Amino acid sequence: MEGSNNSEDFAVGCLLSIKTTLGDEFDGQVITFDRPSNILVLQEGSKPGPRRNIRFLKANYIKEFSFLGQADDPLDVKKCYIDLHTLQAREELALRQAEAEAERIGVGVTAEAQSIFDALSKTLPVRWDKTVIVVMNEVRVSSPYLPDSVSGGTSVANERVKKVIEFERKRLQARGASQ
Amino acid sequence: MYLALYNWLKGAAAVEMSLQQGSQPKFYANGVGRRRAEREGGARLDNKLQSGKSNSNRSSAVVGAKVGVYESPSRDRLVYLLTCLIGHPVEVHLKNGCICSGTYYTTNVEKEFAIVLKMARMTKDVSFRGQKAETLSKAPSKSLIIPGKEVVQVIAKDVSVTMDGINHELQCEKQQELMIDSFISQSRHVEVERELEPWVPDEDDRQCPELENIFDGPWNSRGWDQFETNEMLFGVKSTFDEELYTTKLKRGPDMRELEKEATRIAREIEGEDTQDLHLAEERGIHLHENLDIDEETRFSSVYRGIGIDDSGYDETEDIMLDSHNNETFGATSVSYTIEPEDLTHGKSNEGARVLSSSSLDEAQCSQSCTGADCDTGSCEYARQLASEIPLKSLSTSGCESRIQENLHGEHEGNDSVKEFVEERTVEEAQLLTREDSQSLNGKKDGSDKGALSPNATAYAPSNASSKSYEKTSSCAELSEGSLSVKGAREVQPLNSRGRPGSSTSSNSDCVGAVSVSNGPGLSPSSSVGSLSSEKSTLNPHAKEFKLNPNAKSFTPSQTPVRPPSPDGSFYFQPNVPSLPHMHGMPMGIGIGPSFTGHQPVIFNPQVAALQTPQAYFHPGGPQYGQNMLLGHPRQVLYMPSYQPQEMPYKGREF
Repeated sequence: MEGSNNSEDFAVGCLLSIKTTLGDEFDGQVITFDRPSNILVLQEGSKPGPRRNIRFLKANYIKEFSFLGQADDPLDVKKCYIDLHTLQAREELALRQAEAEAERIGVGVTAEAQSIFDALSKTLPVRWDKTVIVVMNEVRVSSPYLPDSVSGGTSVANERVKKVIEFERKRLQARGASQ
Repeated sequence: MYLALYNWLKGAAAVEMSLQQGSQPKFYANGVGRRRAEREGGARLDNKLQSGKSNSNRSSAVVGAKVGVYESPSRDRLVYLLTCLIGHPVEVHLKNGCICSGTYYTTNVEKEFAIVLKMARMTKDVSFRGQKAETLSKAPSKSLIIPGKEVVQVIAKDVSVTMDGINHELQCEKQQELMIDSFISQSRHVEVERELEPWVPDEDDRQCPELENIFDGPWNSRGWDQFETNEMLFGVKSTFDEELYTTKLKRGPDMRELEKEATRIAREIEGEDTQDLHLAEERGIHLHENLDIDEETRFSSVYRGIGIDDSGYDETEDIMLDSHNNETFGATSVSYTIEPEDLTHGKSNEGARVLSSSSLDEAQCSQSCTGADCDTGSCEYARQLASEIPLKSLSTSGCESRIQENLHGEHEGNDSVKEFVEERTVEEAQLLTREDSQSLNGKKDGSDKGALSPNATAYAPSNASSKSYEKTSSCAELSEGSLSVKGAREVQPLNSRGRPGSSTSSNSDCVGAVSVSNGPGLSPSSSVGSLSSEKSTLNPHAKEFKLNPNAKSFTPSQTPVRPPSPDGSFYFQPNVPSLPHMHGMPMGIGIGPSFTGHQPVIFNPQVAALQTPQAYFHPGGPQYGQNMLLGHPRQVLYMPSYQPQEMPYKGREF
């Protein structure tokens, strides 16, 4: 492991305010500190309940820290047990969702194109075909994704897609201008 | 499968982390067991670890994974928390400032803490500075391995650290797999709208103008006329002619006087006192100020029969009625008898068919009805029951007699069972005189003769035992044996009534069932004092009749009741079939002992029996089911032809 400059022991439950070498600043409560791997695990946020924001920080990136106070152990040891199957199930679920999400993202397209895609997808079934947005499996919108770039499909569908693109562009512009 | 982590877990054979060791506050107090073989300094993942490249070769990340038993509680905790992250979206901050987001997969804990993510992408990539506009998106990596040394921190939000949390989370997420609208619309992927700002009124707006007066206010100097404007702008001419919509006013010399007269009448009407909540509201009369009548009752147009509490029997109503009863009749039990004379109590009824003194009516019906379930309930119930009785059983003589019987167990002598034969079809307002119109309160609507059935309150003689009921129609509710018929029963079977032989026997019974027959005739007008004569619909809101063992018996007083029907005969259905047997209810129809003969108490025992169930009502309590015309003396059904000579007493044995 990288050498740790920090040889202090971090007690569990300590409230610390930390600055990292990358410029991050945050407060948290120590859940654990694993010396061998030099990882400090902090809990952030004060939400009660099983859900917390957790941060695993490599202690060697700590630029400075200050002690804010001492609190109880944030981890209730008695409740800490995990069922692997549940975890697996969760993971599978997450992966499924992530894959579905990934379908939505065009590869090699600009952010603007992606936002148009997103806007279209709100009301129309769309998918990516390389860098072409395919709407309802018949209308194709290619770069630069202007109303003129719409082609294919029945005239009705075509018109509709054109209109939607026009509208979305206007909206994006307006939003961009106001921001 | 999983990397070292998983193996470790398996090896640890545990679902349970041995975190108990970490009881001491300081992990690293001297002497605390440390992990063995942890510092594998050389355990660096080699170049096999690549970032940014799809690499599902997990095994490459496994470098000499060791499964050992680590005693260090801190390490245990670390591992535990990392395990909690599996499947959870995380952000990995790299040394170079980039941020990778993905689903956490595993970590090489033993070694250099490399992190493997699935479906990861760079959410912040600093390597293309200056080329933002051209930055093209990349496909997410199916699997991304980040070398430990690159890792600065790993951030995970909303991580569950307990099993319950994880389970819960899983459930929630599973639900999300359903295609709910927001998921379908992918709204979360679309950019957020611009930031909203609260509205601030313009400077020239007046402060909170009253909505109602917005165009009337004196400050509204615009004097804007919408019709003018419309005409001007669009050339639209209004063709409104008032007379198209309303009566043409005769504007002549008399106009003034007519107007004055009309205004006077209007004022009179508007100034009238009313019990109707809505009208009262309009006129500014405050009714029931202290009661908490909910908004629905106050403003809704749904008619629920004000005063009727369909929600359930309310003890307070019972008490109210009881108190009313007591006021009127003293604490003695009173039984309702058709004949004013009050067979049981010796109150003499003036011959007139005045069973229910109108005064009684007034007195009682007035408020006691309000909300008095029993009254309405009983009336309605009685009616309802009556209707059940085959029509043929009721002749349309229009005489309503209602026998109301207090189901006071303790009122012994009151065998005043008056049954009222209620002619369903008859709409005459035969009064039912009943003593103790308490129970009749409010229900009286003499006019609703048709709705006699309630009137045919069955009285259960207090000496219940003596009565048997055979009501063909069963008034289940009334069949509670506790019903006690009070007072005399006056049964005055009319000859005209085709009283079947059975009737006799049934007559002797409490006519509890009487009420049954009165169904159709009964109108659901159980509202206080507002019974109309032709109501013949059953009250849909009527409550089920429940026998009240504590019911007081009714003793009619001498209040004048509505004049009997013109034909002066008993109202009564000649062909009343056998009395419905009201099992359990010791009600009977009959004339009380004091019946002198020309009391207007009458009734066709059969009919009465039929009607009894409904007729029975308890002044004190709203158990009577719906259709019980309780409390309203006018509703007491009574047979005009109660003159004994006219209506020979048939078969009543008392």
